[in-house]
Amino acid sequence: MSDSAQQATVPAHTPPKWGTTEVLPLPARFNSAVRELAAKRFAATGAAWKDVVFARQFDLFSLSDAQAIEQAALDDGYRFEFSATVSLESEPHKYKRPERTGATFADGESSDGRRQVGVGDNVLRKSENVVGEAALISTTEQVMSYLADGVPPGTIAVIDDSGGTLTAPIIEGFAGVICLGGTVRSHLGILAREYDVPTLMNCTIDAISDGDVVEIEVTAAPPAADAYETGDTGHARIWLHEKGA
Amino acid sequence: MEIDYRRLLEANNYLRQLSDTTYWLCITRTVQESKLFPMNPYMLLSYLNTFYRLPTLLREIDAVTPAEELGDRAREVSLKVNTVNAAWGMPAFYLIGREMLMNWGLLGPADAVQDVVDVLDFSRRFNLSYHRNDGHLTNKEFGDRSQYLPERTLQVFEADLHGVTPGDRLHTAATKLIAQLSQFAFLAHCECRIGIHTSGPYNFGENRQLIVRDFFELTEGDYPWLDGIATQLPHMNLTIPIVFKDTNFHLMDDWASFEAEPAYDANNIVAVGMYTADALTDGYVPVAMENAETLAETMENYREILNQATADLWKRIATWTREQMIDAGALVYSSVAKDFAHLAGTYRQDDWFQIDDRVQRFKPLMNDEYGRDNLAEMVGLLGFPHQKANEYTMARYSGLNQNMLTGIPYSVLVDDDFAPTAGNQLSGSSSLPPKTGLWTTSQGRLEIDEYNRRAREFTPSVLQGANRYLDEEWVKRNYRSERADELYKLTQRTSRNLAGRGAGLRRADLH
Repeated sequence: MSDSAQQATVPAHTPPKWGTTEVLPLPARFNSAVRELAAKRFAATGAAWKDVVFARQFDLFSLSDAQAIEQAALDDGYRFEFSATVSLESEPHKYKRPERTGATFADGESSDGRRQVGVGDNVLRKSENVVGEAALISTTEQVMSYLADGVPPGTIAVIDDSGGTLTAPIIEGFAGVICLGGTVRSHLGILAREYDVPTLMNCTIDAISDGDVVEIEVTAAPPAADAYETGDTGHARIWLHEKGA
Repeated sequence: MEIDYRRLLEANNYLRQLSDTTYWLCITRTVQESKLFPMNPYMLLSYLNTFYRLPTLLREIDAVTPAEELGDRAREVSLKVNTVNAAWGMPAFYLIGREMLMNWGLLGPADAVQDVVDVLDFSRRFNLSYHRNDGHLTNKEFGDRSQYLPERTLQVFEADLHGVTPGDRLHTAATKLIAQLSQFAFLAHCECRIGIHTSGPYNFGENRQLIVRDFFELTEGDYPWLDGIATQLPHMNLTIPIVFKDTNFHLMDDWASFEAEPAYDANNIVAVGMYTADALTDGYVPVAMENAETLAETMENYREILNQATADLWKRIATWTREQMIDAGALVYSSVAKDFAHLAGTYRQDDWFQIDDRVQRFKPLMNDEYGRDNLAEMVGLLGFPHQKANEYTMARYSGLNQNMLTGIPYSVLVDDDFAPTAGNQLSGSSSLPPKTGLWTTSQGRLEIDEYNRRAREFTPSVLQGANRYLDEEWVKRNYRSERADELYKLTQRTSRNLAGRGAGLRRADLH
């Protein structure tokens, strides 16, 4: 029996009738590689599937196989996008360097010494907007520093992480939070509500720098329950207080 | 369990319900990422760990304490084997791990059929028993609602909770403690939400609703990284029932998350209380419920302890390597059923806190991007080739010809080229420092052998003998009987206001 004929008799390796391949490029690349390897290795055993699938599973796929798949991608020049800073720091050769994203919020109107620099989704409606100095926070070292020295009063944190753990020990100290991702249902949104910290989630902003005086419109209505399905979001505004104004 | 056509039909029906519900849960949230934890890589590894280990561990537990008896236990008090962990997470994680292996060609749809049937059978029996009072299988089946507590427990809550108004000491203490508990639970669980649980709503009359908020793993216990953390806190778990005015909790989903109209606002809280429960408690144990001042003072004290604990734990985690963060997160997820072992008295640390050797081989694939995109592919896009169904089908929610979870082919009844189980030999390791601390329980801090011994010998009084079968259909016509009075009095024993009042009470009698 030829390899291809034998493979065709094994349900685990028969291409599914109605599917083709993954939508996203990296899953398609890695998963196809594992599939091809598993089929080839099984064919080489000459044994029945039931005697291989668990009893000889390391013959089908091993740690070194996974390492080879990753290395092949790296050798091709592929660099992965990171989400956790520990990934970038511990394996910098595998990851793309973070690029400073350009302004994603078009020029807003200026009036009363304020220029609109962004929009977001308000977590909990307050009676007054909050004004404070922006602090861009994305690393554990920054959090450690705030833990040691305290969060300066009036700090509005600009965080590109919708998780609740990076800023866990210091969130209560913020006068406000501008989160560049997530939704009002994300972990950071949940915690902001519990801690009663004025917070905008899912923000799109123009460049904001450390020390800029910003105002967040936490008097805006929170998004409706179906806002993320309808796209009716981004109604809370963010202003930069212009120097000398 | 022997596999026959009837059992396969039942298993596939339950599997498809899980598939639809899990898809709905996933698409109504964005992919949760974290700058601190590589979440998506650890989630994928956790599913694989669950696939290889769970069937063996559940069979041992089921033989000692059957799943329906474990459901009885979880229906009486807040335990970590709850909606998000046991009712949804345990079977879903197992089946998602199966999907990953099938997609890689390392598993056929018929392989591990005995394991799949056993896990689903255990899960279904647990869920039916856990939801016995509302008569449903899942929160989704009940219309995103969760009402598993009996009247006798809810009456104690209604009679004993302390009234609050915004700005008073207890209101402030309660809202601050809940925030701190939420924060600590996210951190202790490596950014995932499974240390937090909410159930309800229950109708408390006069446009008021009760929700029951639970927080788990608050100090030394199973998680090795909590050794030495929050050791001044005498409770592993805390339950905070909260009564809201003018707020309709219209959604309580199978992740034990809620949505309300108007949105959750602490200013609408009108009463609170605090309790604890674990595998050794005979019902909920009141915590500082004597009066409002004592409760407020205790909440303030616990908040201070947990505030310090959050900083201590954060500093510990900030020193972890990427692999340690991944192992910890994967173990949090793959151990969602571990408290079944505590209830049965079969708990062994290595069973639940090792990454299986069969899983370790996949680690090099788990960079952040693959983790994020493969997860999105599998649970959102349903883009694995084998997740597609024939072109005429329209799935629930998506309307597309695709399903997240793959059914068991009925051909297993006539074909034989498949392996029925992944095996029962568990071998693994962890990059984390080993656990050295004790286990915090309601009976003090114990070594694990002693904890297991006491668990094996314990049955709550409301579940002993015939009590187990005295449900509310029975109470409806027997509330004047001595047996009903005795049953209610067991739950009322620790109540400040209802001790000894028996089974005949209605809401009007409580105030």
